[in-house]
Amino acid sequence: MEKTSLAERRAALLQAGAQVSRNVISILDPDELLQKTVDIICEEFGFYYAGVFLLDEEKEWAVLQSGRGDAGAAMVAEGHKLHVGGLSMIGAATGRNQALIALDVGDEPVHFKNPHLPLTRSEMALPLSVGSEVIGALTVQSIEEAAFSDDDITALQAMADQLAIAINNARLYSMNRILLSQTTRRARLLEASTQVAKGITSILDLDELLHETVDVICEAYGFYYAGVFLLDETNEWAVLRAGYGEAGSHMVELGHQLRIGGLSMIGTAIAERHARIALDVGDEPVHFKNPHLPLTRSEMALPLVVGNKVIGAVTVQSVEESAFSDEDISSLQAMADQLAIALDNARLLRELEAAHSELVRTKTFEALATSTIEAIHWIGNKALPMTASVDRLCSDLEDLQGVDEEIKASMREDLAMVRDNAQLIVAVQEHLIGPARDNKPLPAMIDDVVKDLLVKMEIPSDIITYEPEASLPLAVADTTQLSRSLGYILQNALDATEGQKDRQIKVVVEPRESKGLLYVAINITNNGPSIPESELDKIWAAFYTTKGAKHAGLGLSATLQIMKQLDGQVAVKNLSDGGVEFEVLVPVIDSKYVEATLPVGQSVLLIDDDDSWSRFVSATLIEAGNKVDCSLDTKNYAKYDWVFVDDALESGDTMKVLSALSKAQVSDKVYVCASNMRVERVMDLMHYGIKDVLLKPYTVEALAKIFSD
Amino acid sequence: MEKDIRILLVDDERNVRRSMEKTLLRAGFDVDVAEDISAGLGLFKEVYTQEPEERFDIAVLDLSMPNFEGVQDPEAGLKLLSKLLEIDNSLPTIVLTAYDDVTRAKKAVSLGARAYFVKGREAGLIELVNDILGL
Repeated sequence: MEKTSLAERRAALLQAGAQVSRNVISILDPDELLQKTVDIICEEFGFYYAGVFLLDEEKEWAVLQSGRGDAGAAMVAEGHKLHVGGLSMIGAATGRNQALIALDVGDEPVHFKNPHLPLTRSEMALPLSVGSEVIGALTVQSIEEAAFSDDDITALQAMADQLAIAINNARLYSMNRILLSQTTRRARLLEASTQVAKGITSILDLDELLHETVDVICEAYGFYYAGVFLLDETNEWAVLRAGYGEAGSHMVELGHQLRIGGLSMIGTAIAERHARIALDVGDEPVHFKNPHLPLTRSEMALPLVVGNKVIGAVTVQSVEESAFSDEDISSLQAMADQLAIALDNARLLRELEAAHSELVRTKTFEALATSTIEAIHWIGNKALPMTASVDRLCSDLEDLQGVDEEIKASMREDLAMVRDNAQLIVAVQEHLIGPARDNKPLPAMIDDVVKDLLVKMEIPSDIITYEPEASLPLAVADTTQLSRSLGYILQNALDATEGQKDRQIKVVVEPRESKGLLYVAINITNNGPSIPESELDKIWAAFYTTKGAKHAGLGLSATLQIMKQLDGQVAVKNLSDGGVEFEVLVPVIDSKYVEATLPVGQSVLLIDDDDSWSRFVSATLIEAGNKVDCSLDTKNYAKYDWVFVDDALESGDTMKVLSALSKAQVSDKVYVCASNMRVERVMDLMHYGIKDVLLKPYTVEALAKIFSD
Repeated sequence: MEKDIRILLVDDERNVRRSMEKTLLRAGFDVDVAEDISAGLGLFKEVYTQEPEERFDIAVLDLSMPNFEGVQDPEAGLKLLSKLLEIDNSLPTIVLTAYDDVTRAKKAVSLGARAYFVKGREAGLIELVNDILGL
């Protein structure tokens, strides 16, 4: 080759190299850069083929990234790669960081015979280096033998160096873009998290809070779906309370719920109190395939935990597989934690509001009750003389002479109506004022209170079945008020079954635990007609009655009021096989044993049936060193220091007993013990000149107090 | 001739007072009425001092009335009861009330009342008066 032509060729090569450099230096997309490079080399230099290899991460292989023409494209598609330091030209150039020329490839031992490039006769491999680091190699091939000179190497190596810098720049640019994208996403997540945090601390309406949360999660993170589940009252189901988009709204409307500990991601996350992530839901065994969310490919279930308590879970779903980065998981879990606190705050606020409403209601009720009681008392007092006036009129009417009998009959009817209404008003007064009287809760044997009531009500034994459990805890109640409320229920049962051939009323008394508290339960069932389901709540309302105008409809209302005052409960339900059951729960006493001093060496007569109360009194006094006789037919009363008489004798008549005691002139040491104190009864009993009428003592302390007083 | 039984009836409710008065009159008793405890105490003192032969045999007192200061008091009748018994500690008394209140009833009895009667059953009142006076 002549000097001039050599110089021209070198100049052309340098110019082409500069051209390549100019064209590629501004390209920041790596794929475009490499493709452009091979195209320009071939076009500017007129070479048969050019290709760019880049080393893999382990720097073990040089992988073809871009090749000229169809051959290049085919090799890229095949994943063509050459071992660094291997026998190929590229392997050797990258292994040694040195340019190599094969002027007749047939003679070159390191040349790899490539079936895609059968015409190659010369090849040049130029390492692509940034500083001392080899990042790849450039292959340039010609169909001419001995096509490359050392000068060509110099010229093309300069271009390769520029190319290496450009590739490196593009890589840095790409990396920066990824970093920028990650930073932008992180900033967006942070903003979303802040938005949720800000929102949830200011939103106290639960529904608004939940909907805002799912919207923010989906819109800020770009996820397909988010939903919030909260545990139901049984803690067995997680109920969807808010869901993103139409699918979410639809599922909420359908009452979508998942069993805790079931196969769903949510059920498992709540049961195990750990986040669950399924990066490809098809492979996740606990994923619940939801027809409303067919595109879900990744799902994350984050438990909502407050202190030691799980209150629900958040589901986040994506249409992409492996959609959740570590940052997503940590920021969403932080958001879930804040949401759990906000939900708990909203719950506390609701409780506070409920307590406030209850307080307002109570105060309003108290004010109304006070004025109502005043009004009823006033009206009742006005009605009091009416019955006496009617009685006098009736008496006078019978004495009237010369009055038509038909007119007399009409007047009698009118007077009877006035008497009925007056009596009803007086009864209403007692029903309303009675429960409002002061409560004096004391320890009580509920089985004895119920037994006394049944005796007093004189319910025929073929109707009533009484089944008290043998060993009951002491309850705490004002027994007069409790008897009043149980009396209303029993009267209700009697009224309900009136006229039935097979009337049956059953009373069962047994211990009961309800919501962690101990009660003595009194279940009163009757086989009368069921109460219509729509009426079940109404029966507790004042003045509600199905029994006609002669009934004020206040008994069950009073019962409810009394049981509230006793910190007890009352409920009613229809029985599946017919009939109605009322259940009354009386709280069990929660106090310690109080030491009491009982008398010693006294002779005591206890006139009572053999029941739990008489056994308690006998055993207690005998143990303290007294002599106790429990009998209904003792005659020699004089020998006793103390005589106690049960006010409700099943096997005897209290009044006859008191009469006998009065005749024996021992009334001054007689105490009548009653579980239900009514003033008229007390006055009747006091007529016998007895020492006193007392509330039955149900504890050693109360019994000792009788002797000490 | 045997002296008629004389009853002092104190109640601030006009119709109640009049109704009980009529019932007691029909039963054959002499009845003097007062509409409050001050008037009742005044009447009792007057009869006690000026008509020693015609003193009251029994007093029937409402429980809830205005007290000596004129303020409504659920135990005004008990205050009058104490004053009457200070004058005549053998005077039988019956306290009347519209309430079924065992505590007040027993308090009345402890203060010296012979009985505590829930209003509204006037026939029972006559029986009670007869019992107390041994008639």
